Amino acid sequence: MVHSELSRRTFLTGIGLAGVGGLGAALLGGCATSSSDSGGGSSATLTLQSSLSDPSPKAALTKVVDGYTKTKVTLNTIAIETFRAQLPTYLNSATPPDVLTWYAGSVARDYASKGFLLDVSDLWTGSGACAGFSPALKELSTGGDGKQIFIPTNYYWWGVFYRKSAFQEWGVQPATTWDEFIALCKALKAKGVAPISMGTGSTPWVASGWFDYLNLRVNGAQFHRDLLAGKHSFDGPEVKAVMEHYRELLPYIDPKGRSYSWQDAVTPLASKKAGMYLIGAFITQSVPKDVVDDIDFFRVPIIDPNVPVAEEAPTDGYFASAKSKNVDGAKELLSYLASAPAQELFIKESASSNLPTSPQVSTTGFSPLVQKGIKLLNESAAITQFFNRDSSDALQSTADTALTKFLDSPGDVNSILTSWQSAAQKVLTS
Amino acid sequence: MWLFLLVPAAIEIGLVFWPALNSFYLSLTKWNGLGAPEQVGLDNYRDLFSDDVFREALGNNVIWAVGFGGLSVAGGLALAVALNKPRRGVGIYRSAIYLPMVFSLAVTGLFWRVQYQPDGTVNTLLGAVGLESLERQWLADPKTALYAVLVAAVWRQVGYVMVLYLAGLKGTDPSLDDASAVDGAGPWQRFWYVTWPQLRGVNTVVFAVTVIDSLRTFDIVWAMTQGGPYHSSELLSTYMFQQGFTFLNLGYASAVAVVIFALAILFIITYLVRTLKEEVA
Amino acid sequence: MSTAARKGWLFHAVMAPLTLLWVAPMVFVVLISIRSFDDIAGRGTAALPDSFTLDGFRTAFGEGSMGRALWTSVQVTVPAVLLSLLLSSMAAFALSRYAIPGRRAILLVMLAGNLLPPQILLIPVSRITESLGIYDTLAGLIAIHVGFGLGFYTFVLHGFMRSIPSEVTEAARIDGAGPFSVYARIIMPLCRPSLAALGALATTWIFNDLIWSITVLRTQAKFPVTAALLNLQGGYVSNWNVVAAASIMAAVPTAIVFFAFQRHFVSGLLMGSTK
Repeated sequence: MVHSELSRRTFLTGIGLAGVGGLGAALLGGCATSSSDSGGGSSATLTLQSSLSDPSPKAALTKVVDGYTKTKVTLNTIAIETFRAQLPTYLNSATPPDVLTWYAGSVARDYASKGFLLDVSDLWTGSGACAGFSPALKELSTGGDGKQIFIPTNYYWWGVFYRKSAFQEWGVQPATTWDEFIALCKALKAKGVAPISMGTGSTPWVASGWFDYLNLRVNGAQFHRDLLAGKHSFDGPEVKAVMEHYRELLPYIDPKGRSYSWQDAVTPLASKKAGMYLIGAFITQSVPKDVVDDIDFFRVPIIDPNVPVAEEAPTDGYFASAKSKNVDGAKELLSYLASAPAQELFIKESASSNLPTSPQVSTTGFSPLVQKGIKLLNESAAITQFFNRDSSDALQSTADTALTKFLDSPGDVNSILTSWQSAAQKVLTS
Repeated sequence: MWLFLLVPAAIEIGLVFWPALNSFYLSLTKWNGLGAPEQVGLDNYRDLFSDDVFREALGNNVIWAVGFGGLSVAGGLALAVALNKPRRGVGIYRSAIYLPMVFSLAVTGLFWRVQYQPDGTVNTLLGAVGLESLERQWLADPKTALYAVLVAAVWRQVGYVMVLYLAGLKGTDPSLDDASAVDGAGPWQRFWYVTWPQLRGVNTVVFAVTVIDSLRTFDIVWAMTQGGPYHSSELLSTYMFQQGFTFLNLGYASAVAVVIFALAILFIITYLVRTLKEEVA
Repeated sequence: MSTAARKGWLFHAVMAPLTLLWVAPMVFVVLISIRSFDDIAGRGTAALPDSFTLDGFRTAFGEGSMGRALWTSVQVTVPAVLLSLLLSSMAAFALSRYAIPGRRAILLVMLAGNLLPPQILLIPVSRITESLGIYDTLAGLIAIHVGFGLGFYTFVLHGFMRSIPSEVTEAARIDGAGPFSVYARIIMPLCRPSLAALGALATTWIFNDLIWSITVLRTQAKFPVTAALLNLQGGYVSNWNVVAAASIMAAVPTAIVFFAFQRHFVSGLLMGSTK
């Protein structure tokens, strides 16, 4: 059982040393963290990397892509969390996907400032596909250097959603002012219905919905944006005022929602065990088909009539990789995706109550609900995105921690706000 | 002949150790995945020690190692002993207990999330036996979330440990057991003095596997609570994932990973070095 | 009742409910998979089925391309398992039958490779596979699986091989057999139960792997079953009936492998067994 040869020993030692030597820090760092050089030339196909894994939007995008006959497009749909984690890898690759779905806002701008996104300003001028889009959308799609790097194709609104027939049964009406809203909650509670449904279990970001809106209603859109940028303190008097209003809501929020995902929390609304849900218009994707037409919404009630009315309307769209091997093809695909027919097809198929960004899309064919959403946004003085899109996922996480703690122990609001401020500082200064 | 060792070793070095050393290097940087990493020396480690969430995760990991490790091993061993003797239905029982390992964690997570819901089976059963006072929102209560997930994880792991012990028990000598029974030894004594020493080999594997799995547990916690509510069920692995892939703090996440690795090495290597020393070639 | 009969009754009285607890999730998944989306959305995931439809399966197979994903999983798992066993048995052979200096250290280092949390290797691995030109290929994924599992399989096989008495190999060596024939003709056949057990274990791990698949692969058409399953869950909404149906389809192959190798399982993973 015993063999030993000097040559083998030396060889193995040699291998060991070679292995360790080859792993010098410079080589390590270089090999794994640098991006490889991309060669020139173009390819005949395009890759569209999509994070829209929800069933209806996925089917809708597939249909839209099938309608693009100029170049062959490979559509890869990846689950959102994986997509988010792999996004740096995608953009940094030597052969990146040409076009990718994502959101407008700070993340896109961040990638643009590092040079990973294709400059698509020419689609925003002259006869470009986005030339007719609203100035607000253009501003949203502009990077720090003034060039456009994003193509918005659809957005949706947030509102207090309810079932029309349920309200009729209970004999209540939607509210327009805060006092009316609290009275409405009281009335619903008296009927044995949970007035507000809110799924903050595995989807704690839902709690930021009310926070954002109360902040918009009490302090206005500019304050909200500045707060998220770190210009105000989370334990300052303005945010404390917001939390006072939030506290008023607590007795009316379904306590079971702390164990539900946002999607689970739709079920009580659909089965008339809960009255209202402050959520995005994507809720129509997750209600049973026979309930969709019964869904309606009203604007989050006004608290201070002197504050200009702001609404949240997260905007989705596409950007292209700066290192794409087929820049012209990518731009053409983006133009197609931004075009009115493509937008119309996507919205029709996605069942998600999306609004088009192109003014050329005729809205007369849309459902009454969507038309109401359009009207809502047109009548607003300012539009913000959602908390995480206006700041970062890291800041969203501090909000999740703070707000869910608040939901569980509202009496600790002051210490919660102080911790939130220090956590936010850590994120914003890192 | 050394080729036998060289080829596998080369592959492992290239595809595992090289990236691993990369991670060690990354833990000394600040990086968000794009461009070049920024050197920050030991800052990440310094920040770790003043990070409340990290400390909570570390504490949770200790609870997890003891709870998950202890319960799955004890449960697996007990089931293996119970199901070792050929009996009617033994095959069915064994298969049923291993079955959870076969299912995807997304669905397992969903199943347990539903059971723990306010109107779910757990609370319903408690109410049925008159223990309503114990009913609560298991996954939403910071005091119970970790333990609720622990139960789900143990439930899944027990089948795997059982299979390992069944293999070990098959390697034991039944004649020794019979002989000691004839000598008048009770079942507990027989197990402890006769069977257990013969399981030493399997125990090594089980220990190694259990430590590895408890430090690497990620999917089931992520599927059920994502470390919430507010980090009360956070483990080192979920914290690392969140830092690295949701916030893209890759340097910081690498530092957490190095800590996980160091803990694993500590347990495994000391145990194994001791065991291997005993088995003199 | 006699003591034996009473014991038997007690045994079943304890095991049967316990087993039901283990089987319950399977039943749960099956129930969800045969419900319609509206039923689940309207009445919740916990409610008993109010509908029966095979839509979940149809969608999983069609839009979810579970069929293609299953085939991809097979294409990845089979070569990966075979290669892993081949290479790890080679390494175990070298480490157990030959007095290579530092063999214990080498073994421990190889095992240590298994101790790393895979998540942290994700970005370096994706870069390295890209520079090696195997990013977004099944070959790259197979390579990663092989590399990552080697340590553990070598460790287990090493223990098994050590217990093979030296007389067996001595006899062959005296007859003039070189190391390769000793390996192939004597050691490997003796290791068959261990290999079968490890093979079944490896199949389960590699088939059920998610994290390497989503790191190395980018094109949806190349996704194995686990990644395809993840993609069925939306960022906002998930069709739980489709996810459940797809999970069942994904679970079937590993279940089959497990049951087929069950006999070997219980005779395979031995370390230091006496004859």
